[in-house]
Amino acid sequence: MAEPAGPAGPTIAVALKWVDLRPDIDRVTGATHHDVRFFGCSAADQAALEHALRIGERFGWPVVAVSAGPAEADAVLRDALAVGASAAIRVDIEAGARSQHSAAALHDALATIDGLRLVCCGDWSLDRGSGSVPAFVAAHLGWGQALGLVGVDLDGDAGDGAFTVTRRLDQGRREVLRIDGPAVLSFEGGTAELRRAPLAAVLRTRDAAIVPLAGPPAPHHRLRVVHRGPDRPRARVLPPPDASLSPRERILALTGALVERTPPRTVVCEPDDAADLILDQLRAWGYLD
Amino acid sequence: MSKPDRPQGAPAGTKRIPTPTEPDVDVIVVGAGPAGAAAALVLARAGRSVYLLERGPFPGSKNMYGGVIYGRILDTLIPRWWEEAPVQRWVTRRATMVMTPTQALTIDYRTAAWGEAPYNGATAFRPDFDAWLADHAVAAGATLVPSTTAVGLLRGDRGQIVGVQTDRPDGDLTARLVIACDGVNSFLAKEAGLYHHPEAEHFTLGAKEVLALPRDEIEKRFGLRGLEGADFEIIGCTPGIAGGGFIYTNLESVAVGVVLSLEDLKRSGKRPEELIAGLKAHPAVAPLVEGAELTEYSAHLIPEAGLHMMPELYGPGMLVAGDAGAFCLAAGIWLEGVNFAIGSGKVAGEVAVQALRAGDTSATFLGRYQDALTDTFALADHIKLQGAPALVMSDNVQRRYPELVCSLVESLFTVTNPTPKKGALRLAREAAKGSGVRLRDLARDGWAALRSYG
Repeated sequence: MAEPAGPAGPTIAVALKWVDLRPDIDRVTGATHHDVRFFGCSAADQAALEHALRIGERFGWPVVAVSAGPAEADAVLRDALAVGASAAIRVDIEAGARSQHSAAALHDALATIDGLRLVCCGDWSLDRGSGSVPAFVAAHLGWGQALGLVGVDLDGDAGDGAFTVTRRLDQGRREVLRIDGPAVLSFEGGTAELRRAPLAAVLRTRDAAIVPLAGPPAPHHRLRVVHRGPDRPRARVLPPPDASLSPRERILALTGALVERTPPRTVVCEPDDAADLILDQLRAWGYLD
Repeated sequence: MSKPDRPQGAPAGTKRIPTPTEPDVDVIVVGAGPAGAAAALVLARAGRSVYLLERGPFPGSKNMYGGVIYGRILDTLIPRWWEEAPVQRWVTRRATMVMTPTQALTIDYRTAAWGEAPYNGATAFRPDFDAWLADHAVAAGATLVPSTTAVGLLRGDRGQIVGVQTDRPDGDLTARLVIACDGVNSFLAKEAGLYHHPEAEHFTLGAKEVLALPRDEIEKRFGLRGLEGADFEIIGCTPGIAGGGFIYTNLESVAVGVVLSLEDLKRSGKRPEELIAGLKAHPAVAPLVEGAELTEYSAHLIPEAGLHMMPELYGPGMLVAGDAGAFCLAAGIWLEGVNFAIGSGKVAGEVAVQALRAGDTSATFLGRYQDALTDTFALADHIKLQGAPALVMSDNVQRRYPELVCSLVESLFTVTNPTPKKGALRLAREAAKGSGVRLRDLARDGWAALRSYG
């Protein structure tokens, strides 16, 4: 743990998995090659961390980052400390542990946090994840789980420490849940962009010591994996567009066109004029004096 | 048009601050490529505090490179580097290929000596090589700060450079000295007012495909064994566009690419990948790469013009090294970059150590950098070969001489029985006439070559 888990009182834990973000998968054989330099947090875990920080800022609750994995996973915990987590805990288990084992390890970490109120997770991990870890964690804690979350509303008058979340259901439906007590929340990727860490925090936390907790033994199961098919790259999950938009606007939102940026312009002109326009734009962005 | 927000990583412009009495660090090195890592290594070993800023998630993450790393300069930094450096193959076969669309003449040299320590050159993947070199700097005490882009300079009371702004919140960093190793399009050198020749004519575009092939297939096709590697430099393979081509062997892939004059490329309306496709389809190249699977495509600007485009290499509180200082030798038979980057970075580090020891980071003191560079290959070779880039990119060398040479060799080796053989001089005259080469062109270019390479 980088620092003590903070004073008793409502605390948010965010579970982060150190995972290969760019696995090299042979398209014929399915053989997977991992490069440790491309490991990090998935978009879903990043969204969970950002949501946790926002909830923490709204209610004045500290955020503790937890991870179950090998020593290399400390990197994602240090990143979490740099963006504002107040403490970090890693439970030492081998990479690629099965979901029940990971959840048990995370639960060991969560048990050390006083006043635990919320656990935020990504909905599923990038490697072979099926979204079961948040459910196992909720079962360990005996809490409810809100899964498939796509948004958090912290502005409503939902009461002290209460807020609402929106989750995605099948067939494009949405459901709004009120969270006013302990819960495990699992977020879809792309629902929040993780903030940039301030430079001083990056420098301060780059060598932060994270003392690992010993991991629990791997649980024995009557169910054993006897064959595993080849890995396949995971599809990138995009946040669902606002259902109130027109079909065209939803397509634009899904493709990223015309959304949250200066709308592109199409101009038909001579090459010299086109060059002038490009130069004007580069000047506007500050690339040219 | 509404003014958009500045994108992440876009230049921020110079900011004035009171000159810090106690800066955050002795030196900020911007860019953890070979130049930056070498500078940081020298400084850290001298006991100086160094931040090595890298915009990618790790050094070398951009992975645009298609060349041979020549290791002699590494001897001075990391003795017996070859025992640990992450190389792909040791280049033991060096071929220079002169091409027309249907012909090729190859001067093919190979030596066993280059396959033994201390080796001559190696192919390598930059994500591996740059990370390895930066690891040495970190082990020596430098602080690597990845995923952080320097977007502007900080200037002190007297206008001297006292740090950089980064793209992180509260991202200003102050230092006694900044070493800009931020690549071919050095925003920092430009912002410092040191870059006076940004014209497109000084740059080429390098475009590269990495083609996967089984290791034994590469060794069979290129005549290699074990970790032996081949380096082909090609001229005449970019029709209508000044430039050249290359083929390098990695362990289980082959890098094939072209280097193209920007202005010619624009005029031609062609796309770089078309030219690589043409090179791969050439009868002399196709058997080497057929059946390979494309795994990467990338492109990158190259500071081609050498001495003629070099920025001022120092200013008050700042040194410039690597591609940012145009330390890339493109002189026809010699195409070298990483060794020049390491060489210039090493000298920058050494001069920075002297400046810090003297407590003087003025432009006057830092002028020693240029003097020191002149005493090494990093600048001396550029001075000596200053005429080479223009000669290599001339129409004669690019088009007419390959036609001349290939036609001459073809007519020499074509058996014309029952017609008697023509004399070599006559064949040469006919080939020269056919390719539009005049004797005075040959004399002029021969003299220019002698002055450059002699």
